[in-house]
Amino acid sequence: MKNYKLHIIVIVLVIIAEVIGTITVPIAQVKIVLLPMLFALIMGILLAPKFLKVVNDKDMADAGSLIGLTLMLLMAKYGTQIGPNLPQIINSSPALILQEIGNLGTVLLAIPLALALGLNRESIGAAHSIAREPNVAVIGDRYGLDSPEGEGVLGVYLVGTVFGTIIIGLMVSAFDAFTALHPYALAMASGVGSASMMTAGVGSLVAAHPDMESMLTALGAASNMLSGLDGVYMSIWLALPFSEFMYRKIKGKNATPPSVPNPENNNSDIDVFKDVAN
Amino acid sequence: MNLKHSLFVLLITAGITLIGNTVKSLRIGAFVSPIEAIPGLLILLAIAYLGIVLAKVIPVKIPAVAYIVTFGMLFTLPACPLSEFINPLVAKVDFLALCTPILAYAGIYAGSNLETLAKSGWRIVVVSIFVMLGTYLGSALIAQGVLMAIGQI
Repeated sequence: MKNYKLHIIVIVLVIIAEVIGTITVPIAQVKIVLLPMLFALIMGILLAPKFLKVVNDKDMADAGSLIGLTLMLLMAKYGTQIGPNLPQIINSSPALILQEIGNLGTVLLAIPLALALGLNRESIGAAHSIAREPNVAVIGDRYGLDSPEGEGVLGVYLVGTVFGTIIIGLMVSAFDAFTALHPYALAMASGVGSASMMTAGVGSLVAAHPDMESMLTALGAASNMLSGLDGVYMSIWLALPFSEFMYRKIKGKNATPPSVPNPENNNSDIDVFKDVAN
Repeated sequence: MNLKHSLFVLLITAGITLIGNTVKSLRIGAFVSPIEAIPGLLILLAIAYLGIVLAKVIPVKIPAVAYIVTFGMLFTLPACPLSEFINPLVAKVDFLALCTPILAYAGIYAGSNLETLAKSGWRIVVVSIFVMLGTYLGSALIAQGVLMAIGQI
């Protein structure tokens, strides 16, 4: 934590990323939005000993131990975005609320696939949810981020961060062009709990249906807020138990017991959660 | 694990966020001075720290995140007398500016996982695509069904 070199590097990365700003790349009907956080992530990766050799193993380990705690300010901000909109959300259509359960579709589809691809406990972390910040925090709490489950959730988190807006943007455009699903339903579904992915999804829809712009953005934002609101609870009480159930059903006798956070670990984020777990 | 350490890390994160927030506001031409953003950041920091302390003190197994999101929500509900005071202050702290430092740390950390990611990398990428497809399709189908049932489309 007293690794000042690391913090100074992060300050420099943040300044560069914010100066670059948001870049929108239109590809056919899809508007791909590249946010400063993506540039910060990529620059961070490029500092590794494999590439620019700016950071060493200790810096990387220290960075890993801090992620859990640095997330907490963002979590507080999430909360403060939900509060003012709660009455609106409660008044909004039942569709908005019920479609949240659809997020469990990922367990049905991705757990069997992850196991078929040869992942083991990693599949629980990887496929229980869309692996945004709240889900990463929940996995860190339950299993530790240095466990196989943690590896899985961080892997999908990183892929989602780097390619998520691109994948969602293309997916939404494809569903809109090739299925009978209504743009309203597609806009609600875009609110997966990531502001950048929601922006990418709704952006593609608005590009295709400019006449519906205000309704599409409102539905996307409301659904995204709902996902922010229920994401943590959904992970803890529905998605994780459901994933564990699917895992045991498929693996049968070959099932590996869940990892437990390592009490010997000095990583601060894991320690926060360990204290909670005990 | 001590609470002093957590507070120290939260303060560092808040400081870096403040820099990013200022730079972003300059770039988009809606300048928010650090002095304007500090009260909001301190509120977020207080909520985060409260959550971490409660998770440590209360013996029930609830993660700090759940406390933090819940308190953030409760303090900003229109019915909460504090909300009129808190909402404009936290609005000065840009949501996306809060994400950038986290991703910078995550990127540096990811550098140490490159070999592991490269080994099982393609599988994680395939799983990730299906994770997004599952979430998206599940939500879209339910939304479509309910919207049709209540006659909105």
